[in-house]
Amino acid sequence: MLKFIARRTATLVAAVLLSSFAVFLIPYVTPGDPVRKIIRSRVAGDVVDESVVQSLGQSLGLQDALFVQYLRWLGSFFSGDMGLSYVSRTPVVEQVMPALGVTVSLVTVALGAAVLASLPLGTAAALRQGRRTDRWITAVTQSFIAMPEYWLAPMLVLLFALKLAVLPSAGWNDASSVVLPAATLALRPASYFTAAVRSGMIDALSAEHVFAARARGLGRTRTVLDHVIPNGLLPLATLLAVWFAGLLGGSVIVEVIFAVPGMGRLLYDAVVNSDIPLAQGGVVVVVALAVGITTLADFVHRLLSPKAGAALV
Amino acid sequence: MCNVRTRITADRAALAVLAVVVLAVAAAPWIAPYAPEAQDLARRLAPPGPEHWLGTDHLGRDLLSRLLDGGRFSMLMAVAATVLTAVLGTAVGVASARRRGWLDEFLTRSNDVLLALPEMVVALFIVAAMGTGFGPLLIALTVTGWTPFARLARTLAYDVSARGFVEAARVVGCPPSFIVFRHILPHLAAPMLGQATLRFGQLLISVGALSYLGLGVQPPQSDWGSMLAAAQPYAERAPMGIIAPGLAIFLVALCVTLIGQHATAAARTKQEAVAHA
Repeated sequence: MLKFIARRTATLVAAVLLSSFAVFLIPYVTPGDPVRKIIRSRVAGDVVDESVVQSLGQSLGLQDALFVQYLRWLGSFFSGDMGLSYVSRTPVVEQVMPALGVTVSLVTVALGAAVLASLPLGTAAALRQGRRTDRWITAVTQSFIAMPEYWLAPMLVLLFALKLAVLPSAGWNDASSVVLPAATLALRPASYFTAAVRSGMIDALSAEHVFAARARGLGRTRTVLDHVIPNGLLPLATLLAVWFAGLLGGSVIVEVIFAVPGMGRLLYDAVVNSDIPLAQGGVVVVVALAVGITTLADFVHRLLSPKAGAALV
Repeated sequence: MCNVRTRITADRAALAVLAVVVLAVAAAPWIAPYAPEAQDLARRLAPPGPEHWLGTDHLGRDLLSRLLDGGRFSMLMAVAATVLTAVLGTAVGVASARRRGWLDEFLTRSNDVLLALPEMVVALFIVAAMGTGFGPLLIALTVTGWTPFARLARTLAYDVSARGFVEAARVVGCPPSFIVFRHILPHLAAPMLGQATLRFGQLLISVGALSYLGLGVQPPQSDWGSMLAAAQPYAERAPMGIIAPGLAIFLVALCVTLIGQHATAAARTKQEAVAHA
């Protein structure tokens, strides 16, 4: 177990260092003078005078070796100084944190809805394995995988915002504005969750202790509630963590379509406006969180089921 | 699986739909009723009718013709990305499993790291840094896309390497490259092909997503994703503009995924049968 934790933690650190080094290099690999770009992220404006550029570059240590600069950048980054956005000219950290909050709530609602939908669907399919109910549930939920979000979203807007006018088509104002983006975002995970619940339940149903419980005369409902569901849900827990981590940076399309001021939208804006400091801040935060969550989920999974954990190493 | 007859019917239907779409898109220049750029400004945002089967877009261009033309980019791009990621992933996976040791460790950990990075964010960055176009888009999809193939190839190559005939080939003095090409890769072909069809659907959606965001295909060339984005402001007046390209992506992705699921299941059954024999 210790070796497992050590390895996973090493991977986590490597992922964060690697991705942060990659984004640190953005000013150097994109066209233009890197010194001016870095100065711009510090003073929030273009410096015209060449001698001022020289002296500012000197005082920021931009003539040092790249690796020294990276360590300095990383140090200030993790102490909360992510530079100033080119566009808004305000500290990046003040933009990233609220955006992160918005995305976390959007993803939580979406995954919550996906779980609420997949639990009954997956259980019903497993209990009627191979019969018509199962075939329909499986076919319909599997087709969700092929549904592009950028198609579903405009269709939902067309129906609920334009034709029926019951929900807002975009924005992030009150509770009703979360419905359409969350529904769009929930569809694909719901498909995977239903499959996971179904196969987990089928495995749990065929376990010997379930057979024994039935043989002792325990009713079908009680057996399912007490013995099948708890065991059948284990695969869902891991999947949930993986999806949560993935959607932190994976909700770009949905956030852009519905004008949700979250991380996806922030990263998209940063890329479109070539706002280097904003992009750097957003990417490192998303990657660090995503990798952290998946690593944590691996630990928990390993603790809960040592047998499954052995296969993970 | 559940009901054999239903499955076969579903597969045949999927194959038929796919064949029709692929043929239509491939033959677009000959069968399209109009040139994709031809404008009929008097009939902008026209509803579907006898002259324009799917109607026209906001510039009066025939939607059906644009749909057929746009499919070429979407599908070519998805096929190219699938082939590239499959070849790269298989090579990495087999190398991992054959060499073991530090190389295996390094490749597996890199795989873990890439798996944790959000695909869309990585793609956004590569396109932003390298510009748009076929090449950068292909790289953007490949950087994270090879990982599922590498995982599968590594596991399978490990299993095959442990079988008797590989040991026997080594004992009689076959060089490692011969063992890989003659004994290992043929055993990987069927499951990797299954995986490739499953990935194709996802890549087709990703290509459309990048084009939708304006980072994929650039005008005047268009694809299904960019058509959807262009039609969105007029969704209420001409809903066909968003329904048609989206439905095309959905149908193709769904059909390929269905066939892929069937192929993977079949490959697995066959493999289990071989393993038990």
